[in-house]
Amino acid sequence: MSSVSAPAADHFPSREVAHHAARMGMWLFLASELLLFAGLFTGYGAYRYLYPEVWAQASKHLDVVLGTVNTVVLITSSLTVALGVHFAQRGKNRMTLLVLGVSIALGLAFLGIKGVEYGHKIAEGALPGRFYSYEGLQLPGASMFFSVYFLTTGLHGVHVVIGLAVLCWLSWKAWRGEFSRERHLAMELGGLYWHLVDLVWIFLYPLLYLV
Amino acid sequence: MREAELEEQRTGRGHAVRYVVVWAMLLVLTATTYLTSRADLGSWNIVLALIIAGVKAGLVALFFMHLSEQQGVNRMVFVVSLAFVALLIGLAVTDLATRTRTALPPGYPEAPPDRQGVQQRGHQRQSGEQLRR
Repeated sequence: MSSVSAPAADHFPSREVAHHAARMGMWLFLASELLLFAGLFTGYGAYRYLYPEVWAQASKHLDVVLGTVNTVVLITSSLTVALGVHFAQRGKNRMTLLVLGVSIALGLAFLGIKGVEYGHKIAEGALPGRFYSYEGLQLPGASMFFSVYFLTTGLHGVHVVIGLAVLCWLSWKAWRGEFSRERHLAMELGGLYWHLVDLVWIFLYPLLYLV
Repeated sequence: MREAELEEQRTGRGHAVRYVVVWAMLLVLTATTYLTSRADLGSWNIVLALIIAGVKAGLVALFFMHLSEQQGVNRMVFVVSLAFVALLIGLAVTDLATRTRTALPPGYPEAPPDRQGVQQRGHQRQSGEQLRR
């Protein structure tokens, strides 16, 4: 499938090889992202092991309803991004733009709900370290749970914001009609990033809110 | 991937439905993990929750992220990164689990965990350690 519309850079024998290399680069980047989050998950595991009582009780102080709604919102946005890749691969720019718009709306909804949750926690004083002043849970190590909570969801939230910026950029490309059967690599790789954000949340949700 | 795509172009059938099926499965699994967490299964709660999360992550990676269609090296990158994640978490927790009690930070409940006494003892230990410093 050699095409004049999307030539490969000179050092690649073909566009196919170039795309394979690009995908691999993206997967390497995602692997490094996984390890970045793994550091925080390790902290979670260590402190959960040290303060089992705190973990059992503190997780009940999180809002399970908001957490579950956010999970559904994020999973649905992953679906719409997957559909975006699907349409971009077929050169259907208008459909791509539509599903990306839905994805961006869902991403913003996720951040909004997260903001409401943070607001509750800040009002209660359920904050990390020495800022902890929550009356409802006074156990040694209680502030550690909320340190881990804010660090993991905070880093995840930063990734949602970056993901949203990427989705906006892809929407702009779709609006200009840049995607075609030959040219859709950007959508594919941008989509991968968004799915990673979803992937991390899939683990954060049960670990923080449920168990 | 090429073959599947060419086949699809020939037949003119899209596989967008597949994504919707995966999405529905993810929602069902989310409901399952929520409902099972309500039941008290002891330490099996977290095991079950992690298994369900693992299945969900697998679905996202294989179908939404097209890992099932990737060539060898790209799959390997992902699998190797997962191995390192397991190594990091596994070794860190094993380290903690095999330490003697005195090396654990203040506030750690001494065996057997006694719900009322934990807080007080924790504070005593903390002040004790401050004195030693």
